[in-house]
Amino acid sequence: MSTAGTAPPPHPTPAANALATITTVAARLAVRSGHRRRPAGPVDRSLPVEVRALRRPCPDVAVLDLVPAGSAPLPRWRPGAHVDVELPSGLLRQYSLCGDPADRSAYRIAVRAVPGGAGSAEVHALTAGTRLRLHGPRNAFPLATAPSYLFLAGGIGITPIAPMVRAAHAAGIPWRLVHTGRDLASMPLSDELAALAPGRVHRRPDDTAGVPTAADLLSGMDDGAAVHCCGPPPMIEAVRRAVPAGQRFHAERFSPPPIREGRPFTVRIVGGPDVAVPADRSALDAVRAVRPDVPYSCRQGFCGTCHVRLVAGTTQVDTATPDPAGPGRTALCVGRAAGDEVEVDLGR
Amino acid sequence: MTATDDDRIALQARDVRFDFSGLRTDWIPGEPLASHVIDVLHMLLPEGERWFVEVFSQALPLVRDAALAEDVRGFIGQEAVHAESHQGAQDHLIDAGIDVSGYVEQIEWIFSDLLGERGLTGAEAREWLVERVGLIAAVEHFTAVLGEWILHSPDLDAAGADAEMLDMLRWHGAEEVEHRSVAHDLYMHLDGRYLRRIRAMLIGGPALAKLWTDGTAVLCARDPRLRGTPQRRVRLRDYLRAARRGLVPGPGMFAKAVLTYLNPRFHPARYGDTDAAIAYLAVSPAARRAGGTA
Repeated sequence: MSTAGTAPPPHPTPAANALATITTVAARLAVRSGHRRRPAGPVDRSLPVEVRALRRPCPDVAVLDLVPAGSAPLPRWRPGAHVDVELPSGLLRQYSLCGDPADRSAYRIAVRAVPGGAGSAEVHALTAGTRLRLHGPRNAFPLATAPSYLFLAGGIGITPIAPMVRAAHAAGIPWRLVHTGRDLASMPLSDELAALAPGRVHRRPDDTAGVPTAADLLSGMDDGAAVHCCGPPPMIEAVRRAVPAGQRFHAERFSPPPIREGRPFTVRIVGGPDVAVPADRSALDAVRAVRPDVPYSCRQGFCGTCHVRLVAGTTQVDTATPDPAGPGRTALCVGRAAGDEVEVDLGR
Repeated sequence: MTATDDDRIALQARDVRFDFSGLRTDWIPGEPLASHVIDVLHMLLPEGERWFVEVFSQALPLVRDAALAEDVRGFIGQEAVHAESHQGAQDHLIDAGIDVSGYVEQIEWIFSDLLGERGLTGAEAREWLVERVGLIAAVEHFTAVLGEWILHSPDLDAAGADAEMLDMLRWHGAEEVEHRSVAHDLYMHLDGRYLRRIRAMLIGGPALAKLWTDGTAVLCARDPRLRGTPQRRVRLRDYLRAARRGLVPGPGMFAKAVLTYLNPRFHPARYGDTDAAIAYLAVSPAARRAGGTA
């Protein structure tokens, strides 16, 4: 049988020849199977919901109950999950689900108003009856079984932790929660959790207890406890470093941070067109607007999926960080032109 | 509290690094055969997982489900990092004086030529792409089963296996368990027919078995430390003995994996222990160094 379209094996052996024949047959069968293959149909998993109620347990925190706009129950979720909320303005924001996973008639989110934050300002202005669209839920902070848990929450970081606490409590697994914040009035949800088991909840406001160190947060923990931490990034980093080797440390995995202090530049694609990259967007985003099929994955420079050949110009992440793709290549997701323009070859 | 199908894990690559400069060729001390059975992965996976990345990147434009596309993207990044990590281990084997160039050339030929684009265009190229997605789904069932095995392999710790290599294998295994449904979901989305799925297993399963056997034989024959010893020749009974001692996955595990796959209602989410994967990623030294771990 002809093995058209392929080169001969570098080391001809009976097995190599057999494999060449088998793959040739497979390619022919694939083409035949294609005659009766139904192409993939569109799948829309977005969830239309309606704001049922909005309350404010703290002056700057809004808790929203979202109910399905149709009759179907909401998808199941587990503690640590989040949803992408499409706001009426079109802004997309991720919020952790902080209600009861067993309640499929409503999702609950809690949102702190961030000064200058367009998304949180819009959430705070929502009223009952407003229609929204959700995507997900997804879990970037899954809760797995452990002999015991230490939950550490900083401020609004209590949102994914709250359902974890309830799940651990319901399963009869020993747990402890430390919730930190500026002052008690800015620390939502943990008062309700304290009602479950007052002795297990330590609400630790900075104004009276001082700003805690990672060692303070971890003091008195069981050896086998799985540490689950959510809060401001410096808190997560400090705890990550302080948890002893061999002990479980869990934190939410976030999307890449927004681009700050970027400069606009132009990416010239071999074969055209030229693409303008704004200061606050990546070359990848700009290129995908004209070439939607450009592969990418981690969007942090390391996985290599979007690394392409750099034909002209030089790139860097910023003045202190070289382009992770190395010489002659650029990571579209994080590389930025050192000058005004670069030329890249998207071909493989 | 076991994570199940209703917990859709957000898949993201982890920026892990491994240092194999101090690794012994018998990284399971005194067990060169068991070490090399697992070392075959370092020769197969760099090319194999790069091929997964290539095929899935080409398949993404066919996906009409935004959530699945997100899964596929996460899968691609994880596989790309796996390939580089195993490449590091392969480079170490070569530095240790084991000449695997012939075997690796053959693997490159398989993935870039036999399983490449084969000069097809248009509708034929698309159908060959779907066929390869089916092949990857079959192979990913094995990687998930292997991931499950390495996450539950206390005998390797007891045997004093190298900590860096174990971390690499277990981090990899945990991510395989974490993303075990993606290739199957992609195949089911693009085609989904049972006989085609089984056909892919009938090709992928035996091919993988043959490549693994040959790879082990090459490593043992070329390992300079085994020169002049009887261990230079791989014997089936030595492999079976290592498998019984829990140092390598046994033949029964592979047979069971194939039988599971034959079930018309097979779905990877029903097999495998996501909790074990999450728990390992929370202690993995490499994942901890990489940051952003869940």
